[in-house]
Amino acid sequence: MTKRIDVHHVTRVEGHGNIYVEITDGKLKECRLDIVETPRFFEAMLRGRPYIEASHITSRICGICATGHATASLRATERALGVELTKQTQLLRKLTFHGEILDSHVLHVYMLVAPDFLGVGSVIPLATSHPEVVLRALRMKKLAGDICAVVAGRHTHPIAMTVGGFTHFPTTSELMALRQRLVDSREDCEATVELASQLPWPQFERDTEYISLHKPDEYAFIDGDIISSDGPQLQAERYQEVTNEFLVPHSSAKHTKFQRTSYMVGALARFNNNFAQLHPRAKETAAKLGLRPKVTNPFLNTAAQVVEIVHCVEDAILVIDKLLSLNVEPEMPAPVTLKECSGVGVCEVPRGMLIHHYWINAEGTLTGANCIIPTNQNLANLEADMKALVVTILDKPVEAIQHNLEMLVRAYDPCISCSVHVLKIEPRSTL
Amino acid sequence: MTTGDIQVPSKDLRHAGTLVLGVGNSLCGDDSVGPCLIEILAKRSLPPGTRVEDAGLPGWGLPSSLEGWSSVFLVDAVDIGLPAGSWRRFRLEDVKLWLQDENFSLHQADLACGLALAQALDRLPEHLYIYGVQPAQTNPGEPLSPQVSACLPGLADQIILDLGKKQYDTKANPHC
Repeated sequence: MTKRIDVHHVTRVEGHGNIYVEITDGKLKECRLDIVETPRFFEAMLRGRPYIEASHITSRICGICATGHATASLRATERALGVELTKQTQLLRKLTFHGEILDSHVLHVYMLVAPDFLGVGSVIPLATSHPEVVLRALRMKKLAGDICAVVAGRHTHPIAMTVGGFTHFPTTSELMALRQRLVDSREDCEATVELASQLPWPQFERDTEYISLHKPDEYAFIDGDIISSDGPQLQAERYQEVTNEFLVPHSSAKHTKFQRTSYMVGALARFNNNFAQLHPRAKETAAKLGLRPKVTNPFLNTAAQVVEIVHCVEDAILVIDKLLSLNVEPEMPAPVTLKECSGVGVCEVPRGMLIHHYWINAEGTLTGANCIIPTNQNLANLEADMKALVVTILDKPVEAIQHNLEMLVRAYDPCISCSVHVLKIEPRSTL
Repeated sequence: MTTGDIQVPSKDLRHAGTLVLGVGNSLCGDDSVGPCLIEILAKRSLPPGTRVEDAGLPGWGLPSSLEGWSSVFLVDAVDIGLPAGSWRRFRLEDVKLWLQDENFSLHQADLACGLALAQALDRLPEHLYIYGVQPAQTNPGEPLSPQVSACLPGLADQIILDLGKKQYDTKANPHC
């Protein structure tokens, strides 16, 4: 007897994907995550454009990680041109970044994952059955969006961030208001941790290689070395030794691998590699959720996001305190001296390590670009997890296998996750 | 974007005031009718306590935008099966929200999804009116069509007239 799960058009921001599983006589014959979307050619769009436009173009790669792409882009340009940033610029970027991580994680935890556990199909029935949960999520998302708007000019696609600095600056009263709202949001954070601690996370373990950025003195979101849970630590410029992109027939998105056949990026990888740099309250959160590195259950990537929600709220308060003590004032972006150069910018967006690599000529025009996003880096590992998970539930009905796979895909929080949530599948059984 | 006599409404004023929200993508032809109308209203004299705002594509953030206002006027492109540039004013209870279950996406929540969420959360304002304009096209990169462009002054006048009314009676309005 053959069981097939054939899921078409699992859409994602940058593409479409299908899940295909075939089980014959109780044995797994095939398990694939097909990525079938046409490439979007952002790297080609960058060629021939002035360096100053790159961050605004690439922030459109994603409507959720817009600040992340803009930041990686700016860092690539700035590192290429040798631009040094002021303390004020670094703090403002960090604050915006925390806003985006919060926004994305709250969306994923509450609106994508929670419905699975609370027995509803999506966020609208969840709003009826658990209105306080959805209202909390919307409140937290509003705060996150307002952080981005106050600092970077708007919620999505930051307009005030530019090469070498900012073109707009928050006032003291705006920063103080954000600080108060962040302090007030601790109550919502505690409720989020409480909710996460009650969720029946699926039991599934598969050790893999965890890759993230790393800084010795802070939980790395912007800049840093690339570190593997298996040992090596490399400078960001050596990213290609880590990513080793390769093509597979069933995916128009490239797969990656480093020292094993696949690796994982994202909140769980960051948690595993950078636990020591988390804010003390985030470490307390991890303890409440029973998380200690190294965590090898991919479903707990969502729990690691909850830990990061607490970290970002607490660190954002600290960042604002530093900005207030600096007395934020308008300053001109750092000057640029054009030359033929190249540079690599790295940051940790909500879904993992993001890399932008630019080549710029002496006129300041981009002659080449390479962007490696976290969803691509996770594909091989996600597929490996799918295979390992399916063989443990081969005897389950097709619907149960499908549901487990959907939850696994969602746990990775790839850009396809929102559509995976409402997969329409066509199970077929043949003798 | 703000006009009337207020910049950022205080909590109290928000509860007493009226919000005019233009919804739509400025880059997609007649879907930009909401933002375009807000641009026109921002230059006009409006009753005290009125705020106009280009909401763009508010998605799941719509309940937060609506919260606290006693009256909200939403302006958006709506396929109402009439010649391009025609518009109608209606209340939420007058229509059925079509939720696109097949493509239900948290990345792409449309106005219906945002309204459904606000409804489920009991966060709708006391008075909610939707001004729906029939688009000619909503293609990316296209400008506003001549038909929709031509309807904007009349629609702006009607909204200002409605803003000045103390009582709203959709049945008394020929456009409802």
